[in-house]
Amino acid sequence: MAHIPDGVLSAPVLIAGAIASAGLLALALRRLDYDHLPAAAALSAAFFVASLISVPVGPSSVHLLLNGLMGLLLGWTALPALFVALVLQAVFFGYGGFAVLGVNTLNMALPALLCALALRPLLRRERPWSGARPVFWIGAAAGGAGVLLTAVMLALSLGLSGQAFIPAAQVLVITYVPLALVEALITGTVLRFLQRVEPDLLPGPRALEVEALP
Amino acid sequence: MAPRRILSHLVPILILPGLALSTPAQAHKLRVFAAAEGPLITGSAYFAGGGAAAGARIRVVDAQNRTLAEPTLDAAGRFSYRAQAAADLLIVAETGDGHRTEWRIPASDLTGSFPATDSGAPEPPATAPTAAAPPTPAPSGLDPLLTTAIEGAVARQLRPLREELQSFQDQARLRDILGGLGYILGLMGLALWWRSRRTAARP
Repeated sequence: MAHIPDGVLSAPVLIAGAIASAGLLALALRRLDYDHLPAAAALSAAFFVASLISVPVGPSSVHLLLNGLMGLLLGWTALPALFVALVLQAVFFGYGGFAVLGVNTLNMALPALLCALALRPLLRRERPWSGARPVFWIGAAAGGAGVLLTAVMLALSLGLSGQAFIPAAQVLVITYVPLALVEALITGTVLRFLQRVEPDLLPGPRALEVEALP
Repeated sequence: MAPRRILSHLVPILILPGLALSTPAQAHKLRVFAAAEGPLITGSAYFAGGGAAAGARIRVVDAQNRTLAEPTLDAAGRFSYRAQAAADLLIVAETGDGHRTEWRIPASDLTGSFPATDSGAPEPPATAPTAAAPPTPAPSGLDPLLTTAIEGAVARQLRPLREELQSFQDQARLRDILGGLGYILGLMGLALWWRSRRTAARP
């Protein structure tokens, strides 16, 4: 699934993925938000271990991705966090290959960035927290969108590499739709929890000045 | 914005439950295991730590990258294939969504089981020790039937060992998990140190 091993994708896809994620990574490092670095490290660690708990679904097996949550909480800083965790997963667990690292990073990070772009402004507008609901639903939207967009990216990488596209897409729909629902629930709950316990972690008005999304 | 306070909240929330759940095994990686007993290759496809991969597609590929067969998997993810000749074989498993793995069966695992193809003409077993011995002596001077039987027995004995070795390799160990977490924290520390140096250098 999200960790594509070596030997599946074609060379043009691998090269395009590597260039795109290297470019995005360079951009993200320039905009690195040092105040959120400990949070980024914690989320990166969570992403790193979340892949160990996998559930068989249909013909495949899935685990939580957390990329929606990372995008929402970290913005651009989610990129290096995801990249570091993916490298370590490849080194320590053998998930995904090294040649595929660029594509895998892109498949996870682009959805995270899109979640940040679309939902972080909403979260800021919610700043004088009116109630629990909006925060939960914003989190749920990020969690679900993160997973589904990753599935789309994955289907594209497989399809562009000349794999049979339709069966791949079918497997992805079967396995990723339940995962998206679970992830939406979890991301919403985590966000609601953070709002109660540590609202500073959520992007606030100050973050608006520090960092400007593209 | 108090990074340390944030971290102290986040770390136990996000990491410890994951660690507690994942210490013994659990990994999500498609694996295939196969072993030959005589010409018969049996094996299984599974997700490391996650049960059988019954929906996977298995292909038997030879050295020229030709697909020889596509054995079907039963509900427990097991398959079997009867090899036609002593050649290097590759068992490839795919789930269609990007999971792919392979297992190599070297020709040497199969050679013992094809005395007929090795010596050209099939020889009747009864006459093998006396009449047919001079033209085609076995390398060690042993009866080829006996060699085949020994190789079969050794393969049978080794199989559980091999399975155990593979499942041992599949386990994500606590050492690896802690190593990864340590790396992440170390990188964070490095970045923060770098930043504090730069801000300190500025007047």
